Amino acid sequence: MQSSSDHEGSKLGMWLFLYTEIMLFGGLFVLYAVYYHKFTDDFIAGGQQLDTFFGTLNTVILLISSFAVAAAITAIQNNSKKIAIILLGSSLLCGFLFLINKYIEWSHKFEVGIYPNSEKLLESDPGLNIFFGLYYVITGLHGVHIIIGMALLVWSLVRVKSNHITDQNYVLLENAGLYWHLVDLIWIFIFPLFYLIL
Amino acid sequence: MTDVKSFFETPAPPKYSGILSWLITTDHKRIGILYLFSILGWFALAIIIGLLIRLELMFIGETIFSPEQYNALFTLHGVIMIFLFIIPAIPAIFGNFILPIQVGADDVFFPKINLLSWYLYMLGGLLAIISLFGDGPPDTGWTFYVPFSVSTNTNVSLTIAAAFILGFSSMLTAINFITTIHRLKASQMKWMRIPLFTWSLYATGWVQLLATPIIAITLLLVMFERWFNIGLFDPDRGGDPILYQHLFWMYSHPAVYIMILPGMGIISEIIPTFARKSIFGYKAIVFSSLMIAVAGSLVWAHHMYTSGMSDTAVFVFSLLTFIVAIPSAIKVFSWISTLYKGSIQMSPPLFYALCFIYLFSVGGLTGLVLGAAGPDIHVHDTAFVVAHFHFTMFGGTGFAFFAGLHYWWPKLFGRMYNFKTAYLSGVLITVGFMFHYVPMFIIGLQGMPRRYHDYLPQFEQGNYLAGYGAVIMVIGMFMMLINLLIGIKKGAVTDSNPWGGVTLEWQVPSPPPLHNFVSEPKIMDYPYDFSRFFKKNK
Amino acid sequence: MGNILNPAEQIDQAFVYIIGFSFVLLFLITAVMIYFVVKYRRNNHPISSDIRGNWVLETVWVVIPTLIALSMFWVGWESYLGLRNVPPGAIEIELIGQKYSWILIYPNDKETENELVVPLGKPIKLNISSIDVIHSFFLPAYRIKVDAVKGLSTYAWFLADKIGEYDFQCTEYCGTGHADMNGKLRIVSAEAYEEWLNQADEDDE
Repeated sequence: MQSSSDHEGSKLGMWLFLYTEIMLFGGLFVLYAVYYHKFTDDFIAGGQQLDTFFGTLNTVILLISSFAVAAAITAIQNNSKKIAIILLGSSLLCGFLFLINKYIEWSHKFEVGIYPNSEKLLESDPGLNIFFGLYYVITGLHGVHIIIGMALLVWSLVRVKSNHITDQNYVLLENAGLYWHLVDLIWIFIFPLFYLIL
Repeated sequence: MTDVKSFFETPAPPKYSGILSWLITTDHKRIGILYLFSILGWFALAIIIGLLIRLELMFIGETIFSPEQYNALFTLHGVIMIFLFIIPAIPAIFGNFILPIQVGADDVFFPKINLLSWYLYMLGGLLAIISLFGDGPPDTGWTFYVPFSVSTNTNVSLTIAAAFILGFSSMLTAINFITTIHRLKASQMKWMRIPLFTWSLYATGWVQLLATPIIAITLLLVMFERWFNIGLFDPDRGGDPILYQHLFWMYSHPAVYIMILPGMGIISEIIPTFARKSIFGYKAIVFSSLMIAVAGSLVWAHHMYTSGMSDTAVFVFSLLTFIVAIPSAIKVFSWISTLYKGSIQMSPPLFYALCFIYLFSVGGLTGLVLGAAGPDIHVHDTAFVVAHFHFTMFGGTGFAFFAGLHYWWPKLFGRMYNFKTAYLSGVLITVGFMFHYVPMFIIGLQGMPRRYHDYLPQFEQGNYLAGYGAVIMVIGMFMMLINLLIGIKKGAVTDSNPWGGVTLEWQVPSPPPLHNFVSEPKIMDYPYDFSRFFKKNK
Repeated sequence: MGNILNPAEQIDQAFVYIIGFSFVLLFLITAVMIYFVVKYRRNNHPISSDIRGNWVLETVWVVIPTLIALSMFWVGWESYLGLRNVPPGAIEIELIGQKYSWILIYPNDKETENELVVPLGKPIKLNISSIDVIHSFFLPAYRIKVDAVKGLSTYAWFLADKIGEYDFQCTEYCGTGHADMNGKLRIVSAEAYEEWLNQADEDDE
């Protein structure tokens, strides 16, 4: 009846949690859908003001980091601790790059006067205000999730270093990886909704 | 049996003793007890607030509170009762204590996360208290409707943060229970051998996972609105306040089932035990729980017939609402059929359970009036609604909780309470309850709106009567709680199975030892097989 | 007036239909429950029968309540339609909710506060909106209630079929003065209405 050795159970718990995260963002996507329906033209106009280059770059960065985490798990299974640490470190680096990009993008928007309750948005069409409101809420919340995911990866990295995560017991790393993939997956939804299709 | 040390005497983790052995425990039984006392504390506070509200309303005009104070009080009453009492009460206390034992496990799957849930619960409660100070307690009602909740100057953000954290806490508990049931049930415990209380918590867990994230994001958005003034729900800037209501009720209607399903689970345990007879329609009860979980998630907008949404939506949601009434009816019929040709022994748990069936039926049947599109328009947001949901939430979940307290109290503490006082307080609560809420049905039909600090003269008589009912009811409840507490110290010592129950928790000593089972328990083919009692008697 | 149905009567009929069934069901449930508890008490009936279910019975009590529930739904829906379908020739009055009173604007731009005066025998349509938070207009005597939402136009109608004074109130919590946000509906004869309508607004503004 030892629970800690039941990895399937730990993963089940993690999957249930990921499911709630999807529902959390699901609520925001519902808002997006309703307002898109209401203000289609404004949403298209807003989307054209977003920089597709930054969006694409961030997508590539996240995909690479997701790959690195998956590879790190394989490395641990093959008992190559060093490679796993390098891979985890590089996925953390990718997370950083993502946040820096996001920072540049947001501060550019602030400079041109597009931020919640800014005068420019108050004067423009209501649909545009809603579009950028959702943009800030969704990408902001996603950014918070990136930070949480990075914290989990750092923790896993420490545990790998101290030999707590081994080829016999790597469920923590697997769960951290699952979380990181989820954060990635949510971005895969955000990217087209804000940058691509509009 | 007395040679086994109970979990009270065996600290877990073993090296600590005293208060620390409670504060950092990972034993599901100790966590259950921690929840028991913290939840009862909140419950007592919310009862007193409720009583103050009724006293204010007994007389026309300003009686004891200003409108601001009154608005803060009914908000607090709602927030505490819902987020700190009804939602966590049965899962967090009895779920934690009984569920692992019922499925033959030693603990829940994630014991540390279980303790974390309790700390989150306490943190949420603390925030709710802090919100009373500073800018003053929130005055929005527990529904936090925009644009009012965004424009008012009180501590709404703090209260919302509290609700958010409490939601997180209950979600972690749900994940814990679902994983426990999947991974830790004894090897012979097939799905159709699981006791109904555990089944009800399983269904509840899924509803929580489905719904809680939606309220989390909705409440976060209200906070963002208050901090950054984004305008997502502001009609001047393209926002749609009705959308908030949709999001809110997408969680909060399923939450109604989060509140009632565990209560139904308790009743499904108590009735067979005291009738000493198999539950009637075990599978029907299981499937009706699951059906409630699914269908209950699809009826949220029946709170919004008057909101200005489209008539088509009213049609669909009214139809779905009537369909979701059926599974609850199935359960009531099954409980009553269980009594047929039983061998019924009256006892306090059964008494509370029978009161539950009556009061919950009233609540459910008056709900039909609210589900019907036309009549709902008249009674929506009146005292009729207040009476209706108190019949289901208090007459339903509350009485099921009381029944559960009386049923499992000897299991939790190994001692019995005084039966006479338990009956007397049960009668007081029920009689007070009827006196309190029946007048509210009537003044609601006459047109008394809810959340009113003051009212038109024609409603005074009903409100006056309701006040007396409230006093009787509150006296009854405190009498019941005190009787139970005295039982812990002074009650007669009981053996492992005082009622003659057949589920697994009655096979372990009372109170149970730290490790619930010495060896893996034997699981019956059918969880409510009472035949062994009759073989012995002959 | 004779050919316009008063929707309030339909609502009441639907209510009586639903509550009638409910009383019967409640009585049966309670009576059977008490009867069983008394009859099969342990002294009287020491050995229980092992009955675990009965498919026929269970099917019956799924099917019959479903039919009853669907009929209730239909009755409720029909009465709701009565509230939504405004008969032609209704007098339209603008109704605006604000913290904490109701503003009424009549066809000739006359403005009143918390005072709704209408002529006997006419259907009255209220076009409802709000200038701040959500309010809800509730006229119990005519069984109508609609939310007043800023940026959204909602409506309700009623048939003014009886001379008299009736209360209306706010039923969506809107703040400190929520409970004081009520007013009077006066149904007067057609002549009195005309006279009132063309009176100069001496006491308002």
